[in-house]
Amino acid sequence: MRAGSASGSGMATLTLSCRLAAHPDSRCWFVAWSPGGALLASCGGDRSVRVWGRQGESWVCRAVLDEGHQRTVRKVAWSLCGNYLASASFDATTCIWKKTPDGFECVTTLEGHENEVKSVAWSPSGSLLATCSRDKSVWIWEVDEEDEYECVSVLNSHTQDVKHVVWHPTQELLASASYDDTVKLYREEEDDWVCCTTLEGHESTVWGLAFDGAGRRLASCSDDRTVRIWSSDEQGEPGVACSSTEPSWKCICTLSGYHTRTIYDVAWCHLTGALATACGDDAIRIFEEEPLAEPQQPTFALMAHVPRAHAQDVNCVAWNPAEPGLLASCSDDGEVAFWKYQRPECC
Amino acid sequence: MPQASGNIALKLKASHLSLASQRFHGEGYQDGYAEGNRIGVTEGRIYGSLHGARIGSEVGCYLGFALTWQHLLHNCTGEKHSKKLKALESLVGMIQKFPYEDPTYDKLQEDLEKIRGKFKQVCSMLNTHPDFRIGLERSVLTF
Repeated sequence: MRAGSASGSGMATLTLSCRLAAHPDSRCWFVAWSPGGALLASCGGDRSVRVWGRQGESWVCRAVLDEGHQRTVRKVAWSLCGNYLASASFDATTCIWKKTPDGFECVTTLEGHENEVKSVAWSPSGSLLATCSRDKSVWIWEVDEEDEYECVSVLNSHTQDVKHVVWHPTQELLASASYDDTVKLYREEEDDWVCCTTLEGHESTVWGLAFDGAGRRLASCSDDRTVRIWSSDEQGEPGVACSSTEPSWKCICTLSGYHTRTIYDVAWCHLTGALATACGDDAIRIFEEEPLAEPQQPTFALMAHVPRAHAQDVNCVAWNPAEPGLLASCSDDGEVAFWKYQRPECC
Repeated sequence: MPQASGNIALKLKASHLSLASQRFHGEGYQDGYAEGNRIGVTEGRIYGSLHGARIGSEVGCYLGFALTWQHLLHNCTGEKHSKKLKALESLVGMIQKFPYEDPTYDKLQEDLEKIRGKFKQVCSMLNTHPDFRIGLERSVLTF
């Protein structure tokens, strides 16, 4: 399956390289690359997490983690060191798995959410873990050297189900997306975590979030069929937090008219800057920023569009952190697919 | 002529009627407004006291819980315990700052959510699962 850009000129391609029945007879909800890019973790409605590794041209299952959860595993996340996996489940718990010579071992189960845990994410330093739930709360956990987890904050800022959490790539800044149509940002202030910004603009549920590589921009995708790009006005080097003034975030671009159904996920490639979306119309689309636009008024062009990337809703897209252009996706059809994105100049 | 004077009488009657109708309309409106106002105030008072009591009972429950644990952990030392005590202290501080006396306080809901969050964090740190919802329902029923 190949797909070209909508414009015809300057054709970029997204080519299928491998397709796996990762969670047969079930939904595959989410995929996550290990920090080095060698392994891919997937999770699904079959209550399991699977870990995939490359073998020649193909991808094979290296581990099945099916004894941690009683219900659907909604999301999975790797720690920065690559030695731990966290899985968030509808059974209201989050499991922490440690890599061992034989596979993975569940070392901790985090309890506290009242119902379905929807997402989990590790902070860039590796010492904090964030979880969010249908109970409308976001929890932040601190990890010590002995693998013990302690809750450092419970944030009740959203008024509805919290769908996704993601950390800034370099700072301890957390973003969450919710059924209340907003995105909220949190940071630590005087020993306690607080919601410092609310991003309003989406007209329906916000499903996914992704920071760009520098952490100056945040992309959000929604049930309103748009992707919004938010930009921080923070001055100076990224990563050097200016404590005196709170950086403000504003929407600098809205991608509308491209998607015909809910957009479930957005992924910003930290190597190439390409933006991929996973949509309820079974398609995967790739966008890139047009080079000559003003940085504060960017425009994005649709570079590639695969209309029937999966047989059902595409739930997640993830760029490999080490290999430019390698994209993984997963769907309600239970499959995981691997794609190669190529720009015209690379051909 | 008699016909004409009859017409005038009719017209006069009609204007009287219209005046009277307007008057009763006005009085009725005033009476209704006053009655509605009275019922509204009563309903508002009942609603306010019910929800005020519910919040008071909930926050009071957290305070009792926090003070008890502070007392229990009073003599404990070590980093783990100091973290727990710090979180408890923060919870007690938030409750003491909560303005019960002012029902028009605009951040009431926001502050209440922060207290609830802190309480959940403290429970998680202490590894306890208090079933405070049952307690709350009971307190609402007894009220």
